Amino acid sequence: MHVTSPVRTPLVTGGKTYADVTEDICKQVEGKPTKEWKVAFVISLAVLAYGTVCLFWTWWEGLGVWGLNKTVGWAWDITNFVWWVGIGHAGTLISAILLLFRQKWRTSINRAAEAMTIFAVLCAASFILMHMGRPWLAYWALPLPNTFGSLWVNFNSPLVWDVFAISTYFSVSCLFWYVGLVPDLATIRDRAQNKVSKYIYGVLSLGWNGSARTWSRYEYISLILAGLSTPLVLSVHTIVSMDFATSVIPGWHTTIFPPYFVAGAIFSGFAMVQNLMLVTRVVYKLEDYITFEHIESMNKIITLTGSIVGVAYLTEFFIAWYSGVEYESYAFYNRMAGPYWWAYWAMMTCNVISPQLFWSRKIRRSVKWTFFISVIVNIGMWFERFVIIVTSLHRDYIPSSWAMFSPTMFDIGDYIFSFGFFFTCFFLFSKYLPVINMAEVKGVIKSTSEKLPLKVSGVSKAERLASPAYKKDAE
Amino acid sequence: MGAHHHEVVSVEEQFEFTAESKRNLLIGMGVGIALVLLGSYLLSQGGGHDAHAAAGHGAEHDHGAHGYHWTQRIIANLWLNSVYFAGISIIGMFFISYNYLAQAGWSAVFKRIPEAMPAFLPIPAIIMIVLAVFFGDKIYHWMHEGIMDPASANYDAIIAGKQGFLNKPFYIIRLLLYFGLWYVLWRIVRNLSLREDEIGGLDGYEKSIKYGTAFLVVFAVTSSTSAWDFVMSIDTHWFSTMFGWYTLASWHVAGLATMTLTIVTLKERGYLKAVNESHLHDLGKFCFAFSIFWTYVWFAQFLLIYYANLPEEAIYYRERFSGYGGIYKAPFFINILLNFVAPFLVLMTRDSKRTSVILKLACWSILVGHYFDFYTNIMPGTVGANGGFGAVEFGFVLLFACAFIWSVSSQLTKANLIPRNHPMLEESLHHDIA
Amino acid sequence: MAEINKKFLVGVYDDEDIALAAVNKIKSAGVKIYEVYSPFAIHGMDTAIGHPRSRIGIAAFCFGVVGFLCALTLTTWTMGIDWPMVIGGKDPLSYPNYVPAMFELTVLFTAFGMTFTFFISNGLGPTVKPLLFDPRCTDNKFIMAIDLSKNKLSETEIESLIKASGAEEVSVKQL
Repeated sequence: MHVTSPVRTPLVTGGKTYADVTEDICKQVEGKPTKEWKVAFVISLAVLAYGTVCLFWTWWEGLGVWGLNKTVGWAWDITNFVWWVGIGHAGTLISAILLLFRQKWRTSINRAAEAMTIFAVLCAASFILMHMGRPWLAYWALPLPNTFGSLWVNFNSPLVWDVFAISTYFSVSCLFWYVGLVPDLATIRDRAQNKVSKYIYGVLSLGWNGSARTWSRYEYISLILAGLSTPLVLSVHTIVSMDFATSVIPGWHTTIFPPYFVAGAIFSGFAMVQNLMLVTRVVYKLEDYITFEHIESMNKIITLTGSIVGVAYLTEFFIAWYSGVEYESYAFYNRMAGPYWWAYWAMMTCNVISPQLFWSRKIRRSVKWTFFISVIVNIGMWFERFVIIVTSLHRDYIPSSWAMFSPTMFDIGDYIFSFGFFFTCFFLFSKYLPVINMAEVKGVIKSTSEKLPLKVSGVSKAERLASPAYKKDAE
Repeated sequence: MGAHHHEVVSVEEQFEFTAESKRNLLIGMGVGIALVLLGSYLLSQGGGHDAHAAAGHGAEHDHGAHGYHWTQRIIANLWLNSVYFAGISIIGMFFISYNYLAQAGWSAVFKRIPEAMPAFLPIPAIIMIVLAVFFGDKIYHWMHEGIMDPASANYDAIIAGKQGFLNKPFYIIRLLLYFGLWYVLWRIVRNLSLREDEIGGLDGYEKSIKYGTAFLVVFAVTSSTSAWDFVMSIDTHWFSTMFGWYTLASWHVAGLATMTLTIVTLKERGYLKAVNESHLHDLGKFCFAFSIFWTYVWFAQFLLIYYANLPEEAIYYRERFSGYGGIYKAPFFINILLNFVAPFLVLMTRDSKRTSVILKLACWSILVGHYFDFYTNIMPGTVGANGGFGAVEFGFVLLFACAFIWSVSSQLTKANLIPRNHPMLEESLHHDIA
Repeated sequence: MAEINKKFLVGVYDDEDIALAAVNKIKSAGVKIYEVYSPFAIHGMDTAIGHPRSRIGIAAFCFGVVGFLCALTLTTWTMGIDWPMVIGGKDPLSYPNYVPAMFELTVLFTAFGMTFTFFISNGLGPTVKPLLFDPRCTDNKFIMAIDLSKNKLSETEIESLIKASGAEEVSVKQL
C-alpha cells in the first residue's frame, strides 16, 4: 500500500484515467503530422541543409576555413562540443539520478529528456569528427594497433578517455532509452490500425506483454541501468573537463574542474529540457502531464546547479589569488578585465545571476520567464566554455604570440549544422515515438493525481469505437 | 504478500539514556584520557625527534627556527578530532536541510537522529577557537612568528601574499562565524521540530524548509571556506580548488555512516521499531553512493595533480607518499581501502544493505577510514616526521567518540524518538521499496 | 514460452489494487495463478503471484568484472607490454591514467550485458509474437490468467473465485 503525504502537490491534473494517458500520448503518434509540425520540420531541414553545405566545405577545404590561428588553436569547435555534451547530461540525470531518488515528477519528462540527450551527444560527436579534419580516419581513435602496425592509442591521453566516455555514454543512454520505450511501443502496437505500423511497432516492442515477471525484471534492470548511468554521467563531463584540466595551461589546470563541469552540464541540460518541454507541452496539449510542478522542480534544479557553478567560479577566482601563482592569477584577471571581458561578464550574468531570479516563486512558475531564463542559461553556458577555452589560449606565454579569435562563416555554419541536426532528430522523435513515458505516468497516477476519476482505468479507444454511445465516465 | 504488510507501529517512543550507558561512556572517556596521558608521558620521554624533522623533506617545515616539541602532537590530535567530529555533527543539519528542501518523505521516521548530531558542535568549536588563539603557530605554518614580515628571518613571500585571507583576526572571525551560523540555524530548525511535536500543524514544516534552505546557502559557502581554513591552510603553500568539496564529501559520508550506525544500534536495542528494512536499505544506499562520490572527488583531485605534476601541487602527495620516512604511506592507502574498496564490495548487494551486521561493518569502515582521511590531510603539515599512531591518537579518538555519543544520547532523550507530527511521517512509516 | 493447447481462465480487472487483492485472495484459495498482465509495474505483484525474486543482479557483477578485466588487459598489454613508451614523464604503466578508460569499459560491459540478459530472460526479441490474453493489458486493464491444467479446482469454481474477487469480465481462452 502506498501513502502520499497531503503536503505534496499533485503532478497530474485533469483527473486522467489510464485510458486517457494512452489516448493523449498515442494520438500524436497515430495521427497525421500537424501543420505546425510540418512547418517546423521543414525549417529545421533547411537549417540542416545549410549546415551540411558548410560542413562539407569544411571537410573538403580543410580546417583552415575556420578562424583558428597559431595561438588560439581550439575555439568554437571544442566550445560547441563541450556545450552539446553538457546539454546531453540532463536526460540521463533525469532518468537515472531522479529514478534512484524516486522523484515521481521525472516520469512526465524523462522520455523527451533522454531523446534530447541522445541527439545532443550526437551533435557533440559531430564536432569531434569535424575537427578531426579527416573524418574518414576517425577509426584511428579506437584502440587498434595504429595504422595496423604495432603502435596503440595512448591511454594516457584525455582525448582517448573522451572516445571511451562519449561512446559508452551514447550507447548506454540509447539502451536505457530503448528499454524504457519497449512497454510504450507495445501499447502503440496493440492500438495500431494499419499493418505497416503494427509490424514496425511490433518488431520494436520485442513481443512485450506486460507480465508481472517481466515488469519486475524491468524495474530491476531500470535500477541497475540507473545505478550504472549515474556515475557514468559524472564520468563523462569529468573526462571532458580533463581535456583541459590535465594540461598545464593557466585557467585550465584546476582540480575543481571535474565536479564543476558536471554541475554546469546538468545546469545547461535542464535549461534545454525546459525549452523543449515548454514548447512540446503547448503544441501537444500536454499541460495536464507537464504541469507547473514539473516546471518548478526543474527550475529549482537549475537554480541549484547554477549556484554550484557560481560557487565554483568564486572558488577558482579565490584560489587563483590564494595560490600566489602569477600566471594563474593573471589568467583570471585577464578573463575578467582583458579583451574578452564581455564574454566573461556575459557568462557571469547568464549563469550565476539570472537563475537566482528563480528564488521568486512567481518567476519559477511562469512559463514565459522559465523559457526566457532557460535560453539565457544556455547562452551563458556557451560563453562559459568560450571563456575557458579562448581566454586561456589567447594569451600565449610569449607576448609576441598574443592573439584574438574571430569566427568565420564556417565556424558559425558548422555550429548551425548541429542545430539543424538536433531539431530534425527531435521533431522526428516527437512525431513517431511517444514523448511521454505512458507506463510510468500510469504508475504514478493514483498517488500523484490532483483528483481521481470514478474509475481510474477509464474507457479505452477500442471500447469507445465498439460502442460509440458509451460515454466517458463522469467524475 | 506477507512482507508488504505493515504492522501498525507506535510512534510514541522515548529514548532512555540509561545509567549503564552513562557509566560505560564515562569509562570510555576515562580510558581515553588515561591513554592520552600515557602517550604524552611516552612522547615527552622519547622526545628529541627534532633530528628527524630536519631530515624529513617537509617543504613546509624547513623554517628552522621552529623546533618541534612533543606537545605539538597533542595539539594536532585535538585539532584533527575537532575537525572530524565538528564535520560529522554539522552533517546532521546538512542532511535534514536537504531532506526538507527535496521534500523527502522516507527519512521522516528517523529524522531525530541527524537532528541530534549538531548539538555536539560547541565542544569542537571551543577547542578549535582556543587552539587557534593560543596555539595557532603549532598548527599553522602561516601563524609562525614573522612569516609575513619581510624583515624577519622567517619571512616567506608566498605566504605573505596570502595575508589578506590568512591573518589571525579575520581567521578568528571566520571561525566564530562558521560555528555561530551553523549552530544558530540548527537551533532554529531543532526548535521548530520540537514545537511541531507538541502542537502539530504545517507551520513548523514550512518554516523548516525556509531555514533549511538558508542553511544550505550558508553551508554552500562555509563548507568550502571552512575546509580551507581548518585543513588546507595547514599546508600553507599548497592549494587545490577541489579541496572544499573534497572535505565536504568526506564529512558527508562520515556523517551518513554515523547516522546509519546510530539507527541500527538503536533498532537493535529495541527503539525505532517503525524503521523497517526499506529504510535501512536506503541508508545503506546512501553510504554506498556517497562513498563512491567521495572516491570520485578524491581521485579526480589526485589524478589532475599527478598528471600535471606541477611541483607546487605534487609536493602534497609526495609528502604523504614518501615524505617523512614514509610514515604516511600506510594511512594513505588505508584511506582508499576503508573508504572505497570495503564499502563498495560490502554494500553492493541488496541483502547486505538490509543486514544490520553488514551495515554496521560498512559504517565502521567508513568512519575509521575518514578519520584516516583527515589524519593524512592534517598530520604531515602539523607534526611531520614526528607523527604516528599510538596511545595519544587512540586515546583522543576514544575520548571524542564517547563525548559525541554522550551528546547525541542526551539530545535524543529530549524529544519523542519519532517526530510524531511530521507531515511526511505517514509516508515514511509506509516506506516500502521491496 | 507459450504452451500449446492449454486452457486458460482470463479475468479482467479495472484497478491495480483490486487486482493485487484478487491475487492474494485467489492464491489463498489454493489456486495457482499463471500470470498477471498490466500496463505498468505494480509494486509487489510478482511476489504476490509467487514468482521467485529475480537473481539477475549476480549477472551484473559478473559482467562488471569481465569488463574491468578486459580493460585491465587492454591497457596493460598496449601500454606496458606490446609497445611501452614514456609519455609525459610517466612510467609506461601508469595506472591512474587508465582509470577513466577502465571505468568506462566496466560500465559498458555491464550495461550491455544486463540489457541483453534482460531481453533473453524475458524472451523478448524482434521476431517474438507476444502472448496476449487481452490486448487491453497494454492500455488500461489488468489481466489475470490461470492455467486450468495446472490447477486441481474445477473451471467453474475458479471462475466464481475470479468473479468474487472483483473481476469485470471472465473468459476462457484456448492457446
